Amino acid sequence: MTTPFLHINGIRKTYGPVVASDHVELAISEGEFMTFLGPSGSGKSTTLYILAGFQDPTAGDIKLRGQSILSTPSHKRNIGMVFQRYTLFPHLSVGENVAFPLRVRRMGQSEIAEKVKRALALVRLDGFEDRMPAKMSGGQQQRVALARALVYDPPVLLMDEPLSALDKKLREEIQVEIRRIHQETGVTILYVTHDQEEALRLSDRIAIFNKGKIEQVGTGPELYANPATHFVADFIGDSAFLSGELAGVQGNRAALRFANGQKVVDIPLHGAGRQGQAADLMLRPERVELSAEAGAEGASLPVTVQDITFLGNCTAVAARTDWGDAMTVRLNFGHPLAGRLARGDRLHVRWSPEAAHAFVRG
Amino acid sequence: MFSAITAGRRGSGLGFALPAVLLLFAFFVVPVAALLTRSVTEPELGLQNYAVLVGSSTYARIFFNTFFVSGVVTLITVLIAFPVAWALAIMPSRWASIIFAIILLSMWTNLLARTYAWMVLLQQTGLINRSLMALGLIDAPLQLTNNLVGVTIGMVYIMLPFMILPLMGVIKKIDPAILQAAALCGATKAQALRRVLIPLAGPGIASGALMVFVMSLGYYVTPSLLGGTANMMLAELIAQQVQSLVNWGMGGAAAFLLLVVTLGLYAVQLRFFDAKEAR
Repeated sequence: MTTPFLHINGIRKTYGPVVASDHVELAISEGEFMTFLGPSGSGKSTTLYILAGFQDPTAGDIKLRGQSILSTPSHKRNIGMVFQRYTLFPHLSVGENVAFPLRVRRMGQSEIAEKVKRALALVRLDGFEDRMPAKMSGGQQQRVALARALVYDPPVLLMDEPLSALDKKLREEIQVEIRRIHQETGVTILYVTHDQEEALRLSDRIAIFNKGKIEQVGTGPELYANPATHFVADFIGDSAFLSGELAGVQGNRAALRFANGQKVVDIPLHGAGRQGQAADLMLRPERVELSAEAGAEGASLPVTVQDITFLGNCTAVAARTDWGDAMTVRLNFGHPLAGRLARGDRLHVRWSPEAAHAFVRG
Repeated sequence: MFSAITAGRRGSGLGFALPAVLLLFAFFVVPVAALLTRSVTEPELGLQNYAVLVGSSTYARIFFNTFFVSGVVTLITVLIAFPVAWALAIMPSRWASIIFAIILLSMWTNLLARTYAWMVLLQQTGLINRSLMALGLIDAPLQLTNNLVGVTIGMVYIMLPFMILPLMGVIKKIDPAILQAAALCGATKAQALRRVLIPLAGPGIASGALMVFVMSLGYYVTPSLLGGTANMMLAELIAQQVQSLVNWGMGGAAAFLLLVVTLGLYAVQLRFFDAKEAR
């Protein structure tokens, strides 16, 4: 195997008895947009801070182009970073903020002026050189921070939830900008977020963090179509989980039995499982249908309608299985059933084969 | 209607301030005016007191001593207080509050007691001289009292809290992430200090330095106990003129000059920082 561009090699970080990150292993190629996605406290920021040199790992190594960077202090790592909080130097103008990394590198005056101009053009803030940071919006400040982090052409750019302080509309606007900047510069980006939509929108690949460990790494479609664990399945997408137990396992297909004895069969099973273990049936919402007729034996479940909510482009139907699990099915606008449903109606939930997954619980 | 409310509020605010304004007028403005009057009327009408103050080399020496010592004290205080304030700001809060309490406690201890303590430490056979000699660093005791060295040491000690407090205020407000950003941008510790930390702490340094400098200009107890009569400072001159020589005219003139210098410095600082804010 060739040497990866950036290799996070078995990083472990503990604070006393608390394990913040546990054997994080990841190879990132040059120019890749890699996102660390996970809930807060899952170890994604810790891993990023170790890359930045703000913290030392308890064990493991980080190699850039095959060379360990752990013994290099932050200011010599030549890594760019955009922080969650606004970290522009408040006493310096926008131009001087962007020039700062070049000034501490003692670059020539004309070269600095040219690079600053180019970096500000990249984030579409041409002509803002003399503005003070306090006079700018949050979105503009983060764009200046991006220009400051890119002006010295770092091989790796770290972004630690840079958009979390912004409102939704502005966030989406800057996400588009970040994508464009990534394409234009070809810089390798490591991006931390807890927002699955942001991760899917931006990344080439996503590493899902949970309790200090990486649960799965893959492209958005890979993770969505083939989640390795219950956690990944739950974290990406908006799926229904119905709880039962494994009634039979054949290779990687399983049959599940629910509390009232109803059974479903031929469901892809993720991870190892034995008969009798508690397991969940996961149904992706877009491949699930409500129908008046039952499907083939073991490929549909009867439900009772609890509530109907019209949402414009779709109607959300809250339904309950016969053993009491709740799930929501969306009917697109114009669906033949949409106008004719009432609470208490008995219907059948059916799914296409790719939409159902079985996960052992635990 | 709205403006009527605010106007009413402003009026009542003035009402609340009235006792304080009267108090200041009666006990500050009037005595200063009286002193100013005496400085141009005693022993006879005219500016002869000021002419003597400005013209004589003895008094020039006293003015020089005062400004020189105050300047050195301010400089040393800034240099010591900055790292202390920085350490206090980043220290775990439990430790910071203990050290903070020690600093405050020293401020609340009687000034005379603290100055006498320094006399004991600094004298020829004092702890400092004996320790240095025991360590073999010096052969003969250093002259640390009855000169400006002693005055400077004692005053730095007394002024330190007045510098640490405002500095801590500004340093605590600096987001540590800004310094992390500076480090990732490639700034060494020294560059981050010079280009980020000190400029951001600037207002705190300026207000602390002004306070220490102005307080030092008018300080009496420490210079008179540690400096001796040969190294007089302005406050001692005023005391001598008024108490020993009963020369109110001369004392008043010196006091008034001190007040003018102090107000001038304050005006410079206000102007400097207002201009910065407005930008």
